[in-house]
Amino acid sequence: MRYYLIENENEYIIDLTKTEILSSDLVEFEFSTLKKNELINKKTVFVRKLAGQYFASFDQQCWNKIPRQNMPRKMIYVDKVIDLYRGYKPSGLAASGEGDLNTQMPGKVVKILAKTGDQVSKGQTLLILEAMKMENEMRSNIDGVIKEIHVKEGQALEQGVLMIEIAPLKK
Amino acid sequence: MTKRILIANRGEIASRIAKAINELEFVAIGFWTESESQARHLEFCNEWIKLVGVTHAETYLNIEQIVRLAKEHKVDAVHPGYGFLSENADFAEALNKAGIIFIGPHSDAIRVMGDKATSKMLAKKAGIPVVPGSSKAVESVEEAIRIAEEIKYPVLLKAVAGGGGRGMRACLNEQEIKDQFAALQRESMAAFGNGDLLVEKLIINPRHIEVQILADKNGNIYHFFERECSIQRRHQKIIEEAPSPFIGDDEELRQKICSTAVDLAKVVKYDSAGTVEFIMAEDKSFYFLEMNTRIQVEHPITEEITGIDLIVCMIQSAIGGDLHIPNQEFIKRSGHAIECRICAEDPLTMLPAPGKVYGFETSFPQGTRFDNCLYRGLEVTPDFDPMVGKLVTKGINRYVAVRKMRAALKGLFIEGLKTNISLHQVIMENENFKNGSYSTNFIIVENPQAKINTEIDFLKFYKELAGIEARNIGL
Repeated sequence: MRYYLIENENEYIIDLTKTEILSSDLVEFEFSTLKKNELINKKTVFVRKLAGQYFASFDQQCWNKIPRQNMPRKMIYVDKVIDLYRGYKPSGLAASGEGDLNTQMPGKVVKILAKTGDQVSKGQTLLILEAMKMENEMRSNIDGVIKEIHVKEGQALEQGVLMIEIAPLKK
Repeated sequence: MTKRILIANRGEIASRIAKAINELEFVAIGFWTESESQARHLEFCNEWIKLVGVTHAETYLNIEQIVRLAKEHKVDAVHPGYGFLSENADFAEALNKAGIIFIGPHSDAIRVMGDKATSKMLAKKAGIPVVPGSSKAVESVEEAIRIAEEIKYPVLLKAVAGGGGRGMRACLNEQEIKDQFAALQRESMAAFGNGDLLVEKLIINPRHIEVQILADKNGNIYHFFERECSIQRRHQKIIEEAPSPFIGDDEELRQKICSTAVDLAKVVKYDSAGTVEFIMAEDKSFYFLEMNTRIQVEHPITEEITGIDLIVCMIQSAIGGDLHIPNQEFIKRSGHAIECRICAEDPLTMLPAPGKVYGFETSFPQGTRFDNCLYRGLEVTPDFDPMVGKLVTKGINRYVAVRKMRAALKGLFIEGLKTNISLHQVIMENENFKNGSYSTNFIIVENPQAKINTEIDFLKFYKELAGIEARNIGL
């Protein structure tokens, strides 16, 4: 199984290269991390279930509790938000177009004033974002056509989230 | 007789209050809203009421709706928690008019203490030290200089309408007042629509020290010693401790500041739980800052060192019950407690970072308390305060409490949210913090966020992914 971890411009691939069930409560995994097709890290991890809790270890001697969680869409590392995809690489994630509308600060979508396929002009208000207790009008940077809207009204957003993709009009 | 008590709040404090109501064998009634139907505090409430509306103004700040619902549900008393309507005298009066008890002080106390200028004047009249300075706006540069000479430099030029660290300038001498006066006047006019300035003595390296007060309806006012809340960012506290390391073993000073707080509470005939805040200078002189007429976020550390249950006592006080406190001497303290506020925020920029909790697990040392509103699936939105929990440890002394806090932080796993746990970890390792030598400028001076290791540790990901895979294959 392959995982794709995407953080800003950095893309990491974590390959699960080995899974071995050692007993009814012990599994061995081997992970390796690739960055730009180069192997940067490789490690064997053991997971053991004990009293309904999960514990992980690299050497089967020192065990650490790991939080139970379902497959998250995001992983957080200190100040980094890492998008996580299991088994597939989403298309069009790497390149950020000039017409893309990203959040500049955390906020909540109050209203979306456009829909996919709409032709919009530069400076047109496309979305109202409530942030720091103020309503902010988010305007289009270019003349173009709305390619995709990734957010819903009422949704809470992190900083740097892609809200709307706009394809530029061909001159 | 069984009372029906409504909690007009949300988050961790709502759970805390509900538990206290359960203990008293009263009926705990909690609110929920459309945007927060999974609120964790409902778990501890016997009855659930829906608050209609989307914004805060329509829900938790809506006096009309809350009073109407309280009447409809035959509520005997309302606990406001902190924030929202907790220091709103109109709310207290509206409840009283409807024959419902407001769990807090009488509305006059809220009104008087809610106004900074009035409370300062009142304190001054009662002989309680306040930060020396002009009592009203100064007319001219000359007047500002005259006052500055009277109270001695350095001084602070301060916009009457300013706040939250804005509209303030430090002046070390006459020349600096001359240079800054007109500029700050213009700036305040532009920012707040009011160009009036005050002159105040500048306290260098101040410490923020507050005294916990608890009073009943019979005129008995007790103090529960002090807390120190000097570690702040953007003028908001993030770490608090009790007792104050700055006061330390100086029992005379401790007695003095605590009895000063009681004296002030007596002036307004205070009759509930409250906090008197002081600012303490390097020479240990202290000045009255303000009084908070509500339960405070950091009340658990006082509970830990004195054994009191402030929320239960606050309810008992309001309904005229027995606090089980014979006299001030009965109240003793032991050990040391520290609280770290766990916030959903970026630890480097300290700005709120909303998100969704994917995993939440704890593995704490003995002597840990974690008041929180976390659960798997909780969505932290920009609407609410980013504080999701309060991690409190208690030790036999400060050294042990800090050691326990380091262990507790290591044993707190919150997945899916950016949190300030790593910032707290750095602060707990900071030499000046460990020695207790810090002021309210700590974050600015020490810049602890620069020491947070942000390099990605793939081993952490392997462990988490291994856990997910293990669950997938049915382990």
